[in-house]
Amino acid sequence: MEMNGYTVRDGKQVADFAALKDDGSTACGVWIYSGVFPGEGQNMARRRNKGDGWISPEWGFAWPGNRRMLYNRASADPQGRPWSERKKYVWWDAAQHKWTGYDRPDFPDTKAPDTPGQEEGVGVDAHSGSDPFTLKADGRAWLFAPSGLKDGPLPTHYEPLESPVKNPVYRRQDSPIAKRFSRKDNPISAPGDPRFPYLATTYRVTEQYTSGSMSRWSSWLSELMPEMFAEISPELAAEKGIKNRDWIVVSSARGEIECRALVTRRLRPFQLNGALIHEIGLPYHWGYKGLVKGAMANDLVPLSEEPNVYIQEDKAFTCNIRKGRL
Amino acid sequence: MIDAYRRFMNIEAPPAPQRPKGFFTDTSLCIGCKACEVACKQWNQLPADGNELSGNSYDNTGALGATTWRHVQFVEQAKANNSRVGQRWLMMSDVCKHCANAACLEACPTGALVRTEFGSVYVQQDICNGCGYCVPACPFGVIDRAPKDGHFEAGRAHKCTLCYDRQKDGLEPACAKACPTDSIQFGDIEELQAKARRRLADLRARGETSARLYGMPESTEAAEVGHLNAFFLLLDRPEVYNLPEVPRLPRKTMAQRYAISAVVGLAFAALSAVAFGRRSG
Repeated sequence: MEMNGYTVRDGKQVADFAALKDDGSTACGVWIYSGVFPGEGQNMARRRNKGDGWISPEWGFAWPGNRRMLYNRASADPQGRPWSERKKYVWWDAAQHKWTGYDRPDFPDTKAPDTPGQEEGVGVDAHSGSDPFTLKADGRAWLFAPSGLKDGPLPTHYEPLESPVKNPVYRRQDSPIAKRFSRKDNPISAPGDPRFPYLATTYRVTEQYTSGSMSRWSSWLSELMPEMFAEISPELAAEKGIKNRDWIVVSSARGEIECRALVTRRLRPFQLNGALIHEIGLPYHWGYKGLVKGAMANDLVPLSEEPNVYIQEDKAFTCNIRKGRL
Repeated sequence: MIDAYRRFMNIEAPPAPQRPKGFFTDTSLCIGCKACEVACKQWNQLPADGNELSGNSYDNTGALGATTWRHVQFVEQAKANNSRVGQRWLMMSDVCKHCANAACLEACPTGALVRTEFGSVYVQQDICNGCGYCVPACPFGVIDRAPKDGHFEAGRAHKCTLCYDRQKDGLEPACAKACPTDSIQFGDIEELQAKARRRLADLRARGETSARLYGMPESTEAAEVGHLNAFFLLLDRPEVYNLPEVPRLPRKTMAQRYAISAVVGLAFAALSAVAFGRRSG
């Protein structure tokens, strides 16, 4: 009920998010699920009426407001007529002066297609009756983001800050606006640095959860993935004289860790500019506490951030390996 | 008289048999997440078996055993060694097969192993005396005794119960409930078999020509152990998944084995008679 929303005075569930007010008289945990429990004992998600058409609006619940397709006003042309008879989905019913169709229209119910946008209008009132993308500032579809991003507006290719190769697309090697932390303990090795000839990537395994600090305390999860390991290809293993389960040391410009080698054909060397470049796969779930412990892949990754939402770049960097322990 | 005795001894009538239920494990849908292993251990409160990296792909629990009743195998396969041609990663969640003719049940001298009203094979822990006859009898190597020095039901035989307790309450087994891809499906065995045949036809039509069902009433592996109440859709030969081509029922060869033992025994007797005869003569 908290998710569906209710009127504060009497605790009654609201019918859907249109009934929510911003004056404190209603409360709602998450507006997109508003309407899933519209009344006592009613759970819209449990409905199983297949119906005649292919939309089945009475089968389960789709957020928001049980709409099966977002921005579905775009299935009709600016005058509100379906673009094609075969694909008709929602349309303007001039006789009844409202939007109708197979799905619940994702548009103000009685806003006619020829309604002009209000210059000073707030929210969807600023949009005209032919602007289907109601959650966009201008109500229009965007092929790219013209503003708001620090890079862009169109995607391009830069190499990671650490890469074994030169950028094959531009003279510019890496993102000019990546957030860098130039410190003595955070060096970045240059492309082709002979000390770190291999690629490394980090990932999770399904058995441990994110950093592992929660799941490493569960014996049932720990037995499934009990130890830090590095996945290497049989080719690289042969070159370095490493056998499956041997201890190896993985090093980068920032640090070095020891772990077991897991030799597998699933790791495939890359052919880059005619050179064979090996890749090392590192899961990152272990640490110094828990039922199972192990070295941290994060000790190797460079500290740098993507410029928009500051996601750390730890999916690609360069490293070296040797047989043995620290 | 018997009724009075039953009442006096508080012996309940066995529950009426129901339509047999079982698992259809479709390995083509398995993603190797091991949720089934964890759900099984959690529901049945089975201890972990130890924390050791096996080095065998992502499989660190090794095999089915007394405290591992679901086990996910990982097979890294290619057309030839040191080649990546036709490379694929097969995953398969293995479990007790609950055979129609169960070798463990036949071998059990105490009556601890029973056929339940749901068609599954169940070890009654209060009756099992830990003799272990069932362990070598199982052609799949499923059932096992818990170590005597362990803290889990020491010494007795254990295996998948097909979540008998959950079935009693109308719930599906924990592994099938947890499986995110429906690789493990639970239900009426005849319905599952029909479903499996449709799925196989579908996969073959899509070019998975080596796909096959394992443990159907009509297939070769049913020759001795009968159909399996936990059966599989495999993408390769059974050996690839550590399953026997034809699982054998020890009973079938018992007469032959007794005869061989008798012949060998007689031969030794004759040999010693000759030896003793010489010395004393």
